Parts: sequence; C-alpha cells; structure tokens
Amino acid sequence: MRKLVALILSLMMLYCILPAAAEGIDTSEHVKIVYLVTGDMPTNRTDEVLAKINELLTEKINAELEFRWIEWTDWQTQYNLALATQSGDIDLIGTATDWLDAWPNCQKGAFMPLSEDMLKTYAPKTWESVSEAHWNLCKYNGEIYLMPEDNYAQWTNHGFMYRRDWAKAAGLENGVHSWEDLGKYFQYIKDNMPDVVPWDANGNGSSYSPQMAGGWQASHTGNINIEGFPVSLFYGESKDNPYTLSRYYLEGDELVNFAKEMKAWADAGYWRADVLNYTGDVAVEMEEGKTGAHQHHTQTWTSERTVMERKQPGSDLGFFWFGEEQGNLISLNITHGAMAVAKKSLHPERALMVYDLMRNDPEIYHLMQYGFEGDMYTLDENNRFSRPEGFEDSTDGVSFNFWWGRNDNLEYKNAELDWDAIDAMYAAYDQVKIDYPYGQYIYDNSNVGVYMDNLSNVYNTYMPRIVFGMNDDPEALVAEFRQQLQDAGIETVMAEIQSQLDAVYKK
Amino acid sequence: MQKAVPQKVVNYRKPSVGRTILQNRTLILMCLPAILFFLVFSYLPMPGAYIAFTNFQYDKGIFASPFVGLKNFQFLFSSGQLGLLLKNTVLYNLAFILVGNFLQLTFAILLNEIACKGYKKTAQSLMFLPYFISDVLVSLLVYNLINYDYGFISNLVRSVGSEMPKVYQNANAWPFIIVLVHLWKSTGYGTVVYFAAITGMDSSMMEAAQIDGANAWQRICHITLPTLKPTVIILFLFAIGGILKGNFGLFYNLVGNNSMLFKTTDIIETYVYRSMMNSFNFSQSSAVGLFQSVVGFFIVLGANAFVKHLDPDYALF
Amino acid sequence: MTVKARIPDHIMRTSRIKKDKTQITINIVTYILVTIFCIMCILPFWMIIASSFASEDSIRRTGFTLWPTEVSTYSYELLFRSPDQMLGAYAVTIGLTLVGTLIGLFIVSMTGYALQRRDFPYRNGIMFYIYFTSLFSAGLVPFYLLIVQYLNLRDSYFAILLPLLMSPWLIVLMKNFVKAIPHEITESGKIDGAGDFRIFYSLVLPNLKPALATIGLFLALSYWNEWYYSSLFLTTKVTYRPLQYHLYNVINKVASLKNSVAGSNVVIKDLPGETLKMATAVIATGPIILLYPFVQKYFVAGLTVGAVKG
Repeated sequence: MRKLVALILSLMMLYCILPAAAEGIDTSEHVKIVYLVTGDMPTNRTDEVLAKINELLTEKINAELEFRWIEWTDWQTQYNLALATQSGDIDLIGTATDWLDAWPNCQKGAFMPLSEDMLKTYAPKTWESVSEAHWNLCKYNGEIYLMPEDNYAQWTNHGFMYRRDWAKAAGLENGVHSWEDLGKYFQYIKDNMPDVVPWDANGNGSSYSPQMAGGWQASHTGNINIEGFPVSLFYGESKDNPYTLSRYYLEGDELVNFAKEMKAWADAGYWRADVLNYTGDVAVEMEEGKTGAHQHHTQTWTSERTVMERKQPGSDLGFFWFGEEQGNLISLNITHGAMAVAKKSLHPERALMVYDLMRNDPEIYHLMQYGFEGDMYTLDENNRFSRPEGFEDSTDGVSFNFWWGRNDNLEYKNAELDWDAIDAMYAAYDQVKIDYPYGQYIYDNSNVGVYMDNLSNVYNTYMPRIVFGMNDDPEALVAEFRQQLQDAGIETVMAEIQSQLDAVYKK
Repeated sequence: MQKAVPQKVVNYRKPSVGRTILQNRTLILMCLPAILFFLVFSYLPMPGAYIAFTNFQYDKGIFASPFVGLKNFQFLFSSGQLGLLLKNTVLYNLAFILVGNFLQLTFAILLNEIACKGYKKTAQSLMFLPYFISDVLVSLLVYNLINYDYGFISNLVRSVGSEMPKVYQNANAWPFIIVLVHLWKSTGYGTVVYFAAITGMDSSMMEAAQIDGANAWQRICHITLPTLKPTVIILFLFAIGGILKGNFGLFYNLVGNNSMLFKTTDIIETYVYRSMMNSFNFSQSSAVGLFQSVVGFFIVLGANAFVKHLDPDYALF
Repeated sequence: MTVKARIPDHIMRTSRIKKDKTQITINIVTYILVTIFCIMCILPFWMIIASSFASEDSIRRTGFTLWPTEVSTYSYELLFRSPDQMLGAYAVTIGLTLVGTLIGLFIVSMTGYALQRRDFPYRNGIMFYIYFTSLFSAGLVPFYLLIVQYLNLRDSYFAILLPLLMSPWLIVLMKNFVKAIPHEITESGKIDGAGDFRIFYSLVLPNLKPALATIGLFLALSYWNEWYYSSLFLTTKVTYRPLQYHLYNVINKVASLKNSVAGSNVVIKDLPGETLKMATAVIATGPIILLYPFVQKYFVAGLTVGAVKG
C-alpha cells in the first residue's frame, strides 16, 4: 500500500515537472513545429534569437519552432510545390489572399479547417482578439482556414513618389495631387533637367499594368478593385453599388482617355523609348537624383522618404496616391497576411499554440521582430526603437519574416522614420477610406477557368502597350483590346462572377 | 535418346529467350545501370503524368484527384493563338537546327584543318564562352547594344549620321536577333560534338587520300563529310523530337512583356507563362508538356522510320 | 601506319612537296572566320568582366564598358562577405562535378558500347526505352514526390548527383562515337577469348579518348551549371549549396532586399544590382574555364589507365 502511494506520488511529481501548459492540454510529447515562410535563409543573428525563442517555447508548451524557407529563387513554384506535396513535414504556413493565393490553395486542399473549439482551446488569445466579423472573412464553405493579420496598420495602396522640392519649382506649391499635376511635374523635369528621366520606369516588370491602369481608374471613377482574380479586369461599380461589376474595360471613354494621355506622355519623353525592355532600378535612380518619380505603395514611401532625405537633402519626398482626386481609397484586406495550418500537419494543436504565442506573447514577439533588447535595439521614451551605430540588417539583424500576424499592441515604431509625415498621411487616409467590401467573396475558378487564362493573356499582351503609350493610335488600340477581350469570352466570365457575387451578397 | 533429339532440333532453329539472354548476359549487364537509372528516374514517376487529366487536389494526391478529361488542354486550343504559337515555335526550332548544325559542322571541319595545336585549343575554349552567359545577362547585353536611347550600336549609327530604328518596337527584326543570339550561344557546344567525331575518325583513310593526291577540299567533301553523316542524322533526329518545345529562358528574357514583338516572338512556353502568371496550376502546365511530347513523339517516329527505310544503320532505334 | 609502310619513300616525298592550293585557301578562310567568331565570343565576356569591376552608378549611366572608369570591387566583397559559404559552395560543386562525371562517363560509355554492338539483339529495344524518356517526362510534381517521398533524398546531395548522371542525349552521342571504332577490334578480342566487358574496357575504351573528353565535358558542365535540382531538393537546412544556386540566391536576396517585398521597415544600404550579376557570372565561369583543360587530361587518362595495363 505504501509502495503504491509512493508510486502515485512520484508519478504526480513527474507530471508536475513536465512543462505546465494550458490546463487540460497534453503537452508531454516534445514536438517540432515547422513554419513555412517566404524569404532567404538569414545570414544574420536569426538562429541565435530562434534558440532563445525555442527555449521559451519549450518551457511554455514543450514545442520548438523550425523554419522552412521558400527562397526568392523561383519562389512561386517552390511555394506551391511545398503545399502540394506536403506529407506532415510542414505545420504552419504563412499565406496571403492577394500575393500568395491563399484561397486557390485552400480550394485545392492545402490547409486544415480550424474549428472554433480548436481555436478557443489552443489559440485562445488570437481567438479573442479577432472579431467575429473578421473571422467570417476567413471562412471558406463555412469553415475557418486562415488566422488574419487584422491588427496591424499598413497601407499598400499604390501611387507615385515625387520630390516636393522639384514640384515647387514646377509651380505645384502644394505638391502633386492628381494625374494632371503629375503631367506638369514630369514636363517641368523634361524641360529643365536634361540628365533626368522624369520617370525612368523599368517596364519589364509586369506589375505596372494593373497598378497604372487601376490607378487611373481609381482616380477617374469610383470603381473598386476586387481581389483574388488572376487578372485585374474585375471591379465593383462604386462604394454605393459595390456588388455590380463595372464595365470600365469594355466600354466608356475613360480607358481611351488613359491610353491617349499615356501616349502623349510617351511622346513627350517622360520615360525612355525602350521602357518595355528596360530593367533598371527606379528607386536607386531616384536616390541618386537621376529620375523624378517612383511608382510603388505607401509602405515603401514611408521608408523611402527617410532614405531620400539622407541622400537628396531637401527632397521632401511626397506621395500622390491613386484615387486621391476622388477620395477613392479602400482599406487593406485583413487577409493580406494570414497564417494557416497545413492540411497534413501531425500536430495542429501544438502549431496553433505556437502561433498564439508568436502573435501575442510580448517577449517572444519582440525577440522575433527586433531581436535582443539592448544588444540589437534600444527603446526611447516614446517606445520607438533604434538600432545601434553601424547596425546592418543582413548581418546583425533578425529575420522571421513574420508577415502573418503582426500585432500593433506589441509593435514598436522605427524611430528613424518620419512619423509626423506618415501619421499625417494615415490621418488623411482615415478620412476617406472604406473597408474592403468583398472580404467574404471567394472566387471560384471551376466554371470559367479556361476563359480566365485567355483573358489573362489578352490583358498582359495589350495593357503594357496602353500603359506606356507604345502605339500609333491609342483609340484603335483600346478598340482592339476590347475586341480581343470579347473574343476571349469576357462577357461569359463577367456573368459568372456577377452570379457568384449575387450568391454571396444578394440574399 | 529419341526424346532428346527433336528437342535439340527445335533449339537450333529458334534459340529460346532464356538462351539469348544467357548468351548476351554481359552486354545486358553492361546496360543494366542505365536501364535501372531510367526506370527509377523516368519511368517510375511517369504514371504521375495523369495529373494532366485531373483537377489536382493537394490533400488527395494525384490519383485520387477528380478526373476532368481534356479540360486542362482546353485553354491552349481555345486561345485562338495556337496557330501562331505553333508556327513560331516550329520555325524557330527549324532555324536553330538547320543553321545551327551547318555552322557547327563548318567550324568543326575548318578547325580540323588547322595545324597549329595551340590555336585550335584556344579557339575551341573561346567559342564555349557564350554558353556560360546566363539568359538574364544575355538580354542585358543585347539591350545595351541596341536600345534606342544609349545603345552601343545606336550611338555608332548616330555618329555616322544615320537614324537608328527603334528595334524594340519592330517585330520583324526579332527573328534575326533571336536566331543570332541562339547561334552565338550554342555554336561552341555543337562544334565540340562534330570535332570529336572527326577526331575519332579512322585516320588511315585520310592519309591514303592524301597520298592519292586529293586536295584539302576534296578530302573534306569525300571523306570528312560522309563520315560525319551518321552524326548529323542522329543529332537531327534527336532535335526533331523537341520541335514543339521552346527555350523559355532565352525568349522570355530577350522579349519580356514587350507585346509589340509577340507577333514574331511568342512561343508556346511564353504564352503559357503569360496565361498562368497569376493562377498557378500544376495540371495545366503538365497538360501543355504532354501535348508537346506527344506531337514530338509522332514526328520522331515518322522521321526515324524514314531514315530506317533508307539505311537501318543510321536510325535512332 | 600500315598504309604508310607500303608506300615507297619517294612517292611520300613528292606528295608532301606538291602544294595544295585549296589547303592554303581553306586555311586563310579558317583563320579569318574562326578569329572573327572568337572575338564575338570573347568581347561580351570581357565586357562582363570589366563591368563587374565598375561602379553600379557608372553602369547605369553608360551601360557596359570595355574598361571601367570607376573601379569598384564592391560586388565581389558582397559575394565573399561570408567566405566560408562561398568556399563551401565551390567545394560542393567541384565534388559533385568530379564524382558525377566519373561515374556518369563510365556508365554512359559502357552503355553506348553495348548498344552499338551489332550482334546484341536487344540494342534497338533498349535504345528506344532510353530515348523515350527524352520525349516524355512525368512533370514536376511526380518527380518531386519521387525524390522527396519515395527516395527520401531531400537535403541530400544525392538528389543532385543521381538525376544528372546520364541523359538519353549523351548515350545516343556516345553510341554514335563508338560506331567509328572498327568492328574488327571487337572481333579480334572475341577471337582472343576476351569477354564483352574485357573487350570494352581494354580494347574499345582506349580508342574512345576524344569521345570521352567530349561527353565528360558535357557531364561536367551539367553538374557545374546545376541550380534547378538544388532549388527543389536542398532546403536551407543544407549549409553549403552548389555554386550556381548559391549565386542565384545572392542576386535574389539583393533584389528582394531592395523591393522589400511585404513592406518590412528595414532601411537598406546601397546594394549593387547589375554589377553583382556580372560578378556572379565571372565567379561561376572562371574556375571551370581555367581548370577544365588540366582536369580533363588526367580524367580521361585515369579512365583508360586500366586498359593500358591490360
């Protein structure tokens, strides 16, 4: 009897020594959670920081984190291949509905459905911090598949960075706030600075087509871009009538006006004649004062402004955002970054627990995002962080590429950035922005996929020529483009999308 | 005895399979590593090509994914572009094969005539250099030569007072440029093949011809070229199987998204890339590959049968 | 040799003295054509070397140069920032190239010889079996599953070594080269009572030197330039990756740092783009061009050494 009591006691003691986790969860087995993430293998102090984090994770939930990097070489294939051929070798997957095809991958069975019970039990803090409305945006066929990065302020709306000092000289006292202003700005540079290309675009990158065409559209119509299509041809009519598809690309004068204006800009020499095959680096050229503009998004502007102030003192880099004329601005979709659990994960519960800590535990979060305090960064009285003298990210920093659950409650702002300018910009955005209206709509490719591929080809064939004015007759080119869209079956596709939208929003 | 005799007779008439294998066991064993290699790395995964006929579901795997018939082939055929794509792809490949082999043959024969060993070796090495330059760098080089604003050739043309045409807006110039670049890159590689074939030739024939008073030109026409004939035929047969397959890296890097040039530069690979740029799909890309293979296969079967008809010794299989 | 011996000396002499005019013409044409082509080949390469030492800024302003106006070694410094990575990459690639070429060359020549034997009844069947694989491939997903799940070769150098060992193209080429060797050699071997392998190894292989050098070169090149299988099968757990893949990653890393893809708040120092591409080309190409002629000599000699003894 005494022996039995002793045995029970010692077993109980053993149990107590085991890591104390959330109550009632069995964490007796030490597991490795593999985290699939895009980015290059770090050459900085990431491993050191990871070791520390793993110490904490082992202590708290008896698990540790391991990276599986999808490096930028051929990353689209690699990423999809890793999802397609998973066999329990990955657990957490960083994903996104816009740039990492979260929904198509979900439809193909890459992710595990996350029940409310699972989330409540294993990721309780995440479960609480995300509102019900936001969880609804992460559902496909009624099941939650994504944990969204919904508490992180960032703007990735596109526009043009320009130099305020040159804009002033061009007579634009308040800076550039419309395409018309932009034309004046470019013309001033063309007339007065022989060594500067107004906008030395590297048209070889395919991304300019949707940005520029969509940018003009945002500035001249109330149309709203619907995400998740392989080709950027589908827009909602306006914020008052968002669930009717716009026929902007099929009829009307605005696209023709755009084509004419860009043709005029091309003829005026705002970019080089062989723009479509030029591969230079616009950002660097702007930093060297060789070009006057750079087309990218707000987030890039926030850091580029600081760089420019250092390299081109007094440049006072401004940002003209597409849609500014009309106040046509949509908030970033909350699934621009999200974490999913791999369908074949062997330890989904523990994976959720790890994610919950990554996202919500201050110590782990700060280690992950900034490294060791004191050694790798210091905080000032406003809780803004600065790096020590001579710090270089590629050797001294830490890279977790955690773009799938950043949390403003725990973020430190970078003291180096110009927060007055940034906050002013964000405040201006806040006045006009509307929420992304299509969060619940997930495009289903199965009926019209064939047409979609051909539309994609037509768009990628004609749009670069329209955007960079590479044609003799813009009106004729737009007409030809529209005819080709018709031939490729755009009416069928639009009818299908409209009926899919109706099914979600017109109940 | 009486039983054994007829058996023996049968054996003499028609050696059994087992006996043939036994007789050739060493030769079979010598082929075995290669046979195993292709079994494992090519034939084992081959049933997976079934993926081209499915709507591939990651969680179900290739064979449990729903069968969709020829749906994945549809986008290529319904594009209205297939005619142009086939034309471009085939014509470029023909130009590469015909002009390429002509150049390689010429260089190999000419090099062989050179007595100076050092020159011969240096030339061979130098000709190989372009092979190492990646397509990305090649496109940079071409851009730096012919771009309108500050290209090397453009500046040259302007300095003599002429007007430089905008090459990047002129589709008709590109077949020449692409073929030229391809030849520049691949001639060194191909020359080595022919050069090795010449070196491996029976030298006694050449010496005999020399003694018979044949001049260099006659020797080339009557000895070197005929000896190279099987090599030429084999290389041709081999190349023709890939007649529908294009060099994506070269075309994509040189032309990029410049749609003004597509009329003369769009090949199957670049078209597929543009169509699926934002909708990644393993099934559809497998379908395209399968289509290219099947067509290439029948062309090769035909060509090989034709060659076999003329001279069985020259056939590929 | 035998031919020469039969010919009286005075005839030999006259044939040498008799001037062959076509020979002279051909020689002149050859020197001109080959030299022009060689210049076409070396000039761009020289431009790449020169530009790799130019400053990023001057490249952007004036394009490629024949001589850098502002010399900068920044690209090379960046590449050699972690020298152990670079040296490790060289070591891995050299190792894979040597081992792979040696094994591949042996199997390819052995197969090529067997398939060329006219008395081998299965030669057409086996040839078709091999050739067929050059036309039809399984596609990316099945091949990936084979290597990773069935052969369990993820993160193993074998995932690169094995698939590159041979190709139908090389076997066909070798078979064609073997054809030039007189069948009498095989016959004489048979009469001497040698086995098929012995004939191949002692009698045929020594006569195959130009073919071995050529196929060896092609094999070596495919190992040297390999990056695709590395990108598929070697995850970041592998510390030292093959050279070309390592270099691709350096270039992409710079590009991705510049674009700061998902908008990290990192402020980036000046990074070269174009000159870095040039420098990687120089670093990747230099060694094989300089070393190959020497290696080749010993390689082929080593492969046929048994034959000399036998």
